[in-house]
Amino acid sequence: MRVFVKIGIVLGVVALVASCQNKSTPNYQYMPDMYEPVGYETYQETRAFRNGKEGQLPVEGTIARGHKPYDYPNTLEGYNEAKLNLKNPTDSVTAVSEDYLKNGEELFNIYCAVCHGDKGDGQGVLAEREKILGVPSYDDAGRAITEGSVYHVIRYGLNAMGSYANQLNEEERWQVTEYVMTLKEDLENK
Amino acid sequence: MASHYEAPIREPLVNGEKSYHDVTVDVAAPVEGRANKQWWIVFSIALAAFLWGVGCIIYTISTGIGVWGLNKTIGWAWDITNFVWWVGIGHAGTLISAVLLLFRQKWRMAVNRSAEAMTIFSVIQAGLFPIIHMGRPWLAYWVLPIPNQFGSLWVNFNSPLLWDVFAISTYLSVSLVFWWTGLLPDFAMIRDRAVKPFQKKIYSLLSFGWTGRAKDWQRFEEVSLVLAGLATPLVLSVHTIVSFDFATSVVAGWHSTIYPPYFVAGAIFSGFAMVLTLLIIMRKVSNLEAYITRVHVEYMNKVILLTGGIVSVAYITEFFIAWYSGSNYEDYTYLSIGAATGPYWWAFWALIICNFIVPQTLWIKKLRRNFAWSFIVSIIINIGMWFERFDIIVINLSKGHLPSSWSMFSPTFVDVGIFIGTIGFFFVLFLLYARTFPVIAQAEVKTILKSSGERYKRLREEGTSLAGAAADQRTALKPVAAKAPSGKTEIDKEKQSQLLNTIGAFDPETDQADDLKKINGIGPVMEKTLNQIGIYKYEQVSKMSENEYDLLDAITGAFPGRAQRDDWAGQAKNLIN
Repeated sequence: MRVFVKIGIVLGVVALVASCQNKSTPNYQYMPDMYEPVGYETYQETRAFRNGKEGQLPVEGTIARGHKPYDYPNTLEGYNEAKLNLKNPTDSVTAVSEDYLKNGEELFNIYCAVCHGDKGDGQGVLAEREKILGVPSYDDAGRAITEGSVYHVIRYGLNAMGSYANQLNEEERWQVTEYVMTLKEDLENK
Repeated sequence: MASHYEAPIREPLVNGEKSYHDVTVDVAAPVEGRANKQWWIVFSIALAAFLWGVGCIIYTISTGIGVWGLNKTIGWAWDITNFVWWVGIGHAGTLISAVLLLFRQKWRMAVNRSAEAMTIFSVIQAGLFPIIHMGRPWLAYWVLPIPNQFGSLWVNFNSPLLWDVFAISTYLSVSLVFWWTGLLPDFAMIRDRAVKPFQKKIYSLLSFGWTGRAKDWQRFEEVSLVLAGLATPLVLSVHTIVSFDFATSVVAGWHSTIYPPYFVAGAIFSGFAMVLTLLIIMRKVSNLEAYITRVHVEYMNKVILLTGGIVSVAYITEFFIAWYSGSNYEDYTYLSIGAATGPYWWAFWALIICNFIVPQTLWIKKLRRNFAWSFIVSIIINIGMWFERFDIIVINLSKGHLPSSWSMFSPTFVDVGIFIGTIGFFFVLFLLYARTFPVIAQAEVKTILKSSGERYKRLREEGTSLAGAAADQRTALKPVAAKAPSGKTEIDKEKQSQLLNTIGAFDPETDQADDLKKINGIGPVMEKTLNQIGIYKYEQVSKMSENEYDLLDAITGAFPGRAQRDDWAGQAKNLIN
């Protein structure tokens, strides 16, 4: 019987100690030797920089290796120019393969379909639920979108649509663009 | 004539015509007496050294291993040197108590208790080093294969350092159990002699209720033999495993198949030296000259001579193989600037002189029977064996395969301080032990008293009978006469009959009277009173309960409640059993 009392005491102490954990704060740590980084982690707060953020802006006009600057300005003239002249720089006959479009589809369904709809008809979930109104269909004759204008809009955004340059890199933007063009074709041929 | 044949050539192992009672008194004296001034002085010095060592350890752990003199080339130096040294010292104790038991060496009985204590205390010192030499000792528990939250990440069982963990911890626990079982009869002896209640309580707890029945003794002997049989391979394997730390490496000078037996021999060598150092002092300080005699010292010196010889042969073998192997690195380590003539020449020659040359003086009988010389040699050997480990570790590391990483080692005060601290800790433990534990296994010594005691050897030589020779006037029991109650008038007849009704009457015609004085709390006067009432037997006493105690108190009128407090009934029950 006494043995049970002793076991009970030990379990009680363990329960007591375990109850010290507070779910709303990080738990206790035993000897956190290399838990906290010595170097700067990407999104961490730090007083070492001006605005307290680790992520500092690069100097204007610098070009990172593997990137090209986008020459069309974010203006109406830039838009029109891109609409007329801008073409997919990848060799569209051989490089725009099924995989290429498949990637474009996947990215489209992640970033675009929520407003534009799976088919590009402007009937995305948010439009259906009337959170956002006035999403046009890709076959809207008045807009007559082209490869260049789609890319330009993804890059800069237009009116209610924001820029997706942060989410998608150059290749991904072109993949989405190509996929949007196939959607437009599908809508027109219906 | 005595029926027992003991070769007359054997010298007595217990001097001074001791009787059983003398053994008891002599062994119990340091425990029952008070520490003298010298003890306190030595204890204070040891304690100070220990505390200094604790300070150094805390400094190391809180600041980092960099406070030691280690460098990138020599990553092991004083830490592992001291570890191997202490483990080695610890080996003599188990050797004395286990191997010598298997070989039926009777002379071990006077030295085994202290030798085992030395084992345990030095293994504790050794056990400190694997922990404190870690860079992150607070994660030391990771060396144990415990199921955990890292996907049950386990240890790699291929490392001799892990085997060390198992070897040392097993060695310590087995030694501790072996030591403690041997202590039970001796603790019981002190318990039974204790006069102060606190002492009595403590030794009752320590002795685990040892009563010394025939069955107990039979099992005790069996356990001792089994443990000795287990401890013997353990002694050999533990230091073998310690030697694997080096022998399994690729370091020239370490990678050697001779290490396991050579390390074990060295361990016994240094361990016996330490036993000698301690016992030569202890026999004087604790007045145990009659038990730890010149013969014991001589026998231990012979073991030292033997193991020292083995170690010396190993040195020669190492040198021969270094030359014979044709390996430039081996040759370099041992023969060219490496050991004997390199920057560590002093450590090398200290080793040769202390381990190889000085112990050879023990071939001379006069010197090996000389206490002072044995003492000096034993200390020299321990210095030499420290250097042996230091040389193996540091010299071989300092000049490895790449000349660009050759380096020297010099210890810092923290290295030295921790070593001094462990010496202090060892002596703190040993001094406390010497004052609280029966330092001689009196139960065992009593078994050889009649065969190897000086008095009995003399009687046998004279051809006289040993019958009655064991009697000691102070302890010989006088037969208890069963007298009829004298019928004193003070005894309340009514209460007496009431009492005797429940516990049973004593019939002097058929029954035998017991010695009631064996019950704690019953002295000669009380016994007489009980006899007057009609209580002669344990059986009667054992039947007493609260009611009877009250009746008894009412009849005797002396010490009310005494019988109940001492639990006479329970004691009597034990005595019947």
